[in-house]
Order: sequence, then structure tokens, then C-alpha cells
Amino acid sequence: MPKITYHVGEEVVTVDAAPGSTVMLTAVQNDVGGIVAECGGNAMCATCHVYLEDGPVDELPAISVAEEEMLECTVSPRTPASRLSCQLPVTDAVDGLVVRVADEQS
Amino acid sequence: MTITPPATITGPRSDLDIYADAALLDPWPAYRELRDAGPVVFLDRYNMYAATRYDAVTHILRTPEVFPSSEGVMMNDEMNQVLRGNTLCSDGAAHDASRRVIVKPLTPKALRPLQDDIREQARGLVDRLTARGGFDAVTDLAQYLPVTVVSNLVGLPEEGRERMLVWASEMFNCFGPMNDRTRDSFSVLGEMMEYATTQAVPGKLKPGSWAEAIHDAAARGEVAADKCPVMMIDYMGPSLDTTIFAISSAIWLFAHNPDQWDLVREDLSLVPSAINEVLRLEAPIQDFSRSVAADHEIDGVMLPAGSRVITFYGAANRDERHYPDPDRFDVRRNPTDHLGFGAGPHACVGMNLARLEMRALFEALAAKVSRFEIVSEERALHNILRGFTRLDVSVHG
Repeated sequence: MPKITYHVGEEVVTVDAAPGSTVMLTAVQNDVGGIVAECGGNAMCATCHVYLEDGPVDELPAISVAEEEMLECTVSPRTPASRLSCQLPVTDAVDGLVVRVADEQS
Repeated sequence: MTITPPATITGPRSDLDIYADAALLDPWPAYRELRDAGPVVFLDRYNMYAATRYDAVTHILRTPEVFPSSEGVMMNDEMNQVLRGNTLCSDGAAHDASRRVIVKPLTPKALRPLQDDIREQARGLVDRLTARGGFDAVTDLAQYLPVTVVSNLVGLPEEGRERMLVWASEMFNCFGPMNDRTRDSFSVLGEMMEYATTQAVPGKLKPGSWAEAIHDAAARGEVAADKCPVMMIDYMGPSLDTTIFAISSAIWLFAHNPDQWDLVREDLSLVPSAINEVLRLEAPIQDFSRSVAADHEIDGVMLPAGSRVITFYGAANRDERHYPDPDRFDVRRNPTDHLGFGAGPHACVGMNLARLEMRALFEALAAKVSRFEIVSEERALHNILRGFTRLDVSVHG
């Protein structure tokens, strides 16, 4: 199973992720803190904001139009590493992905 | 014109009439029967498949390559023709282009400046209504913010605005299969489309309004000019009734579950979770549909290319395979993944506004009302929408 590492504040959590899930869902289902995901994974609320830190970031899909709109609405500042974790599908290729959960979501 | 059945039908079938009066008023037993019959079940009366399990419905909504929207998302071919090309009924690049225009005023950032005003209006309204000791939760409470605030933001010409509630409701009736309710509503739909074409035009629209922004986007070439009238429907259709029905259902649920209202009153941070739970249990839009572009198997049942599948949000939201004790109203459940707003690329574009309106109202009510008691109620008998046409309550401070 691909492993994903989340940095939440000072904490570092590595979890097994199920292919077909998303980086957001994996965090929520494993009680990784800091992700609100109010809209349920539909790129409508910008409350699952993460920064890509390390690992196979090139394996992730490009930012869609809908995600782009919402990334302009993040509460923590947007950087070139910003993504909405609900738009990051888990595949075997993203094994070893490291993300930092944005401090403020809503 | 009814939907043509596929040449071969394999998998489970049902002769349930899911759009009969009794089933619309109390759909839960039929939904359960369909969920238990299979992941998708062919409805003999309507020549369409029904998806009622959570996994099947989300899979369909999140797989637009196989289940496109551009052939329409309604349950009859006439209506699928009428709304051709609006944001709801498009896919891919065309959908991205028009959704980008429609979503602009509805992002969290765009709505932030409206928060204080909406909260203040909600508090003022709740003060006035609670002072009376009772009110109609539909006309007095639920309609207020959508009608005063939202229709002003949409910015349609004053004349005709009073028809908006009727139009929106009748338009959604036309989403149903070709039954009497749909047939009766088509004449009113004509009036709405006429207004969208001849009245919702530059010069008549409120300057700076959302509706005007559609024409501005067309002038810049971001969307085709001939799509403006159907794109008006993206705002005119769903901005009122859906929120109104959700608010009325919330009051009804809190009246029947006073312990849950106590929890919310004791901890206002539960309001967003409670709203999600209301939308899970009583999805204001119960079902849309998708066409099937290619033969596709869902959990062992083959959906043939060319057929149509109805996605029942209201049934998926009560799927015991996904939500434990699904009929229980639990304000602490926080089911953010409910399908009351749909899911995937066509997830409700107004969800942030709807949440904002509901949050403002229920925070204001929590400060003032300890109990809702239902005096009388009248459920809407509607092909698609679920909620109340009248819900008289008395309130205790």
C-alpha cells in the first residue's frame, strides 16, 4: 500500500493509503488533524489545503479549473506548493508523498 | 415523450412507482427496497435504471466520461432538450468555462464580505418571529434570506421576481419523468424561459449583479452569447427552493428531535455538522440522472450504453452500507461526504452560500429558541424536491 506522510504543526504522521482514495480522505479516515474538508471533496471550499513537501509530486494530476478557483480562497497563504488534498488521488505511484497540512483552513 | 428502454436488460428489475404520490411523500421504504435489490435496478415503469446505494451513486457522479451530463440530467427527453448547454447539463471544457463564470460570486472568498450582512438579517428576522411566539417556518422563516438577499444578488429585474419561487419549483417538477406533475409544470417553465431570454438581459439586470456578470463573460468571449438564457437558469432554478426546503426540513427535524436541538444550543460549533446531517437525511433535491455513454458494470450489474440512470441522492444518503443507523438524526455525526449537494464536477455550485444562509439562521435561532412545536404541516408533493409548503410552529424561549 502506498504510504503518505502528513506534517501537522510539529507532528509527523505516516499512514497507509488505499489506492482509489484521496489524500484528503486518507487523512480524515486516519484522524490526521487539521483538515476540515467541509464540502466533502468537491473542490468547493478550500478547507483541505496542503503544501506538497517531498516525494513523487510529479505523479500528481495537474491543477484543474475548479481547484484553481478554490486555491485563490485559501485562508493560509497560497504558495506554488499549494494543493487541495481532495483533488489528489491515491495511486501506487504516489507512494512516499509528503505533505504539510496548512495551519488555517477556515 | 418517454425514455426509450435499452434493447437488453440484465440485472435486477423493479415495478415500484417511485414517483407516485405516496412514494414521493414517504420515499424511504421504496429506497430501501431498491438498495437491497441491487447496486442499480431497472425501473420497469420508467425505462430507466435507479442507483440508490451510496457507492453506486458517488461512482456515477464522479465518472463523467461514462456518465455525462450533456445529454441532460433530467428524467424526460423534452426537459433534457430545454436546458441543453447550461452549466448543469454540460461536460468537460464547455462545463469548465461556464462553471467558472457561475462560481465566481459563490466562492468562500467572494462570500466573505456578505457574511456580516446575512448574519445581521438573520438575527433581525429571528427576533421579529420569536417575538410573535409562532410562525410559518416556510413563508416567514425559510423564504426570507433567499428571497430578500439572494434574489437581489442575482439581480433580475424587479418585475417577474415575485414569480421566481413559482418558476423554480415548477422547473424542478419538469426534471421528473413524463408524469402529470411534469406535464402540468411545462407551461410555467415556458414563462420562465421567456423571462430568461427577454428580461434577463443587459440594461434590465441590476448593475454589478451575478446575472449581469454572465453577459459580461459572454461579451469577453468566455462563454457563447446564445448560452446566456440557459445559464440564467443556473442561478434562477436552484438558488431559492432548495435552500428554503432545507431550512424547513431542519426545523421539522429539530422539532421532532428536541434532544438534538439542545446539543446544538449548548455548543454552537455543532451548527455546520447539524446542517450536513439535515442535508443527509432530507436532501432537498432527491434525484437527478445521467445518460450512459458506454457499457459499464457497477458491482456486477451491466448498464448498457444509451440507457439512463437516476441517481437518488436521498436514498444514497440513507444507505446503511455507508452510514450506521442511517435514519437517526445525529447532529454530531458531521457527514461531510453526504450527497445532498451531489458530488463530483457538478456538485452544487451554491453550497457555500446555502451553508452561510443556514448557519446564520440556526445560530440566531439557537440563541432565542429552546423548543419548536409543530402546529400543522403540509409536505410539498413534488417530483424532485423534498420539503414543506407550510410548517406552522410555535416556539418557546
